[in-house]
Amino acid sequence: MSNPFDAALEVLDPDDSEGAQRRFPEMPIGEAVDMGHAPDGRPLLDPRIFDSPEFGRNPYPYYRIMRDHYPVFHDQLHNCYFVTRYEDVTACYFDEVGFNTIPKGVSSGVLGNTQLELSGIEHRRRRNIYGRHLVGAALTKRLHALRQLGQELIDEWYAAENPHGVEIDHDAGVVTIELGRAFANAFPISVVAQVLGIPQEARQQFTWWYDAMMSGLGGSDTHHEGLVARQDLEEYLESLVESRRRLPTALTDEAGNEISLDIISELCASEIDGDVMSTEEITSFVALVVGGGGETTRGAILNLWYLLLQHPEQWDAVQGDDGLWNTAFHEMLRHSTSIGGQPRHNTFDIELHAVTIPSGSLVHMVDVAANHDDRVFADPERFDIFREDLYSGKILRSGHDKDGRYSHMGFGVGPHLCPGAWISHQEAVIGSQILADNMPNVRINVERMAKDIDGESLAPIGLGSIRELWLDFDLT
Amino acid sequence: MSEVESPTDRPGEDVELSPYGGDDTEPDVLPAAGYRTYEVYQRERVGETTNLIKPRQLISDAYLTDPYSLLDILREHYPCFRDWATNRFWITRYDDVTSVFVDDANYETRPKLWHYNRVGWGRSLWDEVDLQRARVNRIDAGLTASVERCLAELANGGDLATGLAARLPLELWGEVLDLEGDDLSRFAGLFWTTQRGAGWHAEGRHEGLVALDELATWFDALLDERRGRDRDDLVSVAARLESDRPPVSGADLAASVLESDHETLQGGLANLWFQLLTNPEQLGLVRGDRRLVKFAWLEALRHSPPVLSAVRYARHEVERFGRLIPEGGLVMCSGAAANRDPRVFAEPDRFLVERKDLCQREPRGQYRADGLPSGIAFGLGKPSVHPAIPKDRPRSLYAVTRDVAVAASNAVLDAHPDIALTSGAEPTLRSLRLGEMHTCWSLPI
Repeated sequence: MSNPFDAALEVLDPDDSEGAQRRFPEMPIGEAVDMGHAPDGRPLLDPRIFDSPEFGRNPYPYYRIMRDHYPVFHDQLHNCYFVTRYEDVTACYFDEVGFNTIPKGVSSGVLGNTQLELSGIEHRRRRNIYGRHLVGAALTKRLHALRQLGQELIDEWYAAENPHGVEIDHDAGVVTIELGRAFANAFPISVVAQVLGIPQEARQQFTWWYDAMMSGLGGSDTHHEGLVARQDLEEYLESLVESRRRLPTALTDEAGNEISLDIISELCASEIDGDVMSTEEITSFVALVVGGGGETTRGAILNLWYLLLQHPEQWDAVQGDDGLWNTAFHEMLRHSTSIGGQPRHNTFDIELHAVTIPSGSLVHMVDVAANHDDRVFADPERFDIFREDLYSGKILRSGHDKDGRYSHMGFGVGPHLCPGAWISHQEAVIGSQILADNMPNVRINVERMAKDIDGESLAPIGLGSIRELWLDFDLT
Repeated sequence: MSEVESPTDRPGEDVELSPYGGDDTEPDVLPAAGYRTYEVYQRERVGETTNLIKPRQLISDAYLTDPYSLLDILREHYPCFRDWATNRFWITRYDDVTSVFVDDANYETRPKLWHYNRVGWGRSLWDEVDLQRARVNRIDAGLTASVERCLAELANGGDLATGLAARLPLELWGEVLDLEGDDLSRFAGLFWTTQRGAGWHAEGRHEGLVALDELATWFDALLDERRGRDRDDLVSVAARLESDRPPVSGADLAASVLESDHETLQGGLANLWFQLLTNPEQLGLVRGDRRLVKFAWLEALRHSPPVLSAVRYARHEVERFGRLIPEGGLVMCSGAAANRDPRVFAEPDRFLVERKDLCQREPRGQYRADGLPSGIAFGLGKPSVHPAIPKDRPRSLYAVTRDVAVAASNAVLDAHPDIALTSGAEPTLRSLRLGEMHTCWSLPI
């Protein structure tokens, strides 16, 4: 029996069991899976890699392929485009006309119509209302509260009820903690709750809500739980907002003087275009602050400590040097920021790097790829708080290039630059300083940490932040 | 107070410039054209969550073999499903799907060349009546011989999926292009490589690009060779084509071959015979009344369409199905789900050649010649805009495909009146890759 097309039909190999899913081997960090090559020698990128565990733990070699060979990568499986070079991401973020923030991002379902989805005048009006709480003098006067909240948490480690799972071995004189449970989970959310004006007793509940909302962002299996949490939060906030509308409350400084209204009271009293904000608007805003101010700062603290403790000479250098803590914070955000990027939606047909993007396409601005762009940062995969190409001073919306130093994209750039950048910076640095003061001879408890594929070395951070950080320190 | 204000320029407020507060680059001019100050947004409520289906199920291996159980969930619970994992809206009810197909004001279909980022590289020639006619005439003339060549190899049994369903369309390309032997085999390989490459698969896409170029170069040579030839094959006709547009190039022919339907005949034939062979009582009905072959073909396309869904894009923001679909939004019109819509077809999961609620004419969605709904298989079909089609106009590709399938199936029945599956064979339908045709790859008889 012969079919003259047998050879041709080999293109349609019915035994090709690969199908939709593909298991990608886990590679040594920094090396990409070989997914074949185009005739011109360019490495190919199989879009299924983005759904794989391998990409989550070892994303940077793939982003390098994109930056070097596909500066605009059209992913036809997930129907989106990726922009990965520092220069391009910056240009797109600043182009408010060409790129809309229309809610096509996965966060919208749970968080609501937040500031992230607004553009232009509506965006600025709101941003101006809360900006000063997260940025301005009102915050600077509140830094004492940060120290106080941090110290309170640490004092609880030695309390009888031991709510943070702290293990004390008196014989060996060693204390073991999981930094997230002991400190980093609760600290940022306490700060956020305080600035918002949430009563102390509701903070535990708050932590739960933000966990559920964060894990339930659209497109995830826990989306339903996220929406339930959002609904609960909304019901809770409704009564709170009503009471703040009648009776605004204020934040106080160290001496007990009123500084300003808390954010919710401020939002209740604010007018936009001559009208008060609706409860729904306020809730969406609070949802964003809870999400943005909790999870990201938690991740920042964990990643910062994980990276520094793996580089002992850098860890030693930051001790007692406030300026270097700031630098380390920025280098950590460049190296391993927990927010991957932001979605945009192009207003017109555009052509970028010979790829035509039809208007209305989903375009992902990949901050983490831009942060590892070796056109800007030398040896980008190396964590080095002494690097000379990273700008770590005052972050401006346009501050990406000062004297040959570039700012990282951990907070984005442009009009949507993270308004919580300054407060989270303060939380991470002040929190870390207090922690370091209270944890003599601190080191990673390697035994309990997640391991990489070789079963020995510590797992890489990859995308996002590490889940757990186990630490030992000497009991005093 | 100006509308654009920064926290620092409010009169009477003592706000010091903090390290992160710099508003020094606030643009003076607000964007105007193409810019919306307030995005329309629909808040999702707990009761509206789509927790019966997980985001990645629709790109899972399970979808490749059995898409219907997942599509049922969508159709019955989430008729316009916002799929975050692959950034698209799934439309699954019959009336909804057909309404998107016919709505060219709001939705567009992008050509396969777009998937190659090569729009404008070559133009599709299928709007030229001369070429349409050449294709139809060549198929009509060569059909019987082509079917005989396939069946000769199957005289003592064999695999109907590869020996007939996959082979016949390629034999017909040989007739249309006047190619045979090694040339035709080479064309077949290039044809399949270009067709499969127009998608998300990285390797396939690059192989497809290479094949597309090779095809264009080859067609250039063929055009030169056949320019003066007085023959009626597609290439000769294209070489002689007189129009006010630039002369036909190899790239144009390659683009035309790329844009032509490649799945319905192969997939439809394989699925038809899969259904007949796995439903012997239906095969018995067809054996008893050969007029039922055509109905079996239509029912096969309804019950198991090889093209599961068609992709359309919103031309502009459009509010439909209770949702706001943004400009550029991908609308995934699932013909497979619509064809099993119990609102339209009774007992939709059964394959019934004598079905009374299925249109017996061209499956074009909402256009219903006899008032009955047709199956959706030619995903991109839409009603003809011509009030009356001139007599000398060639038959539509739909009609040609139907005639080929019916003729081939009749020939199979003639040659093998007692055709049956090889005992123990358990054929299945499967897509090789996500987005590709859902068909039977092995049908031993």
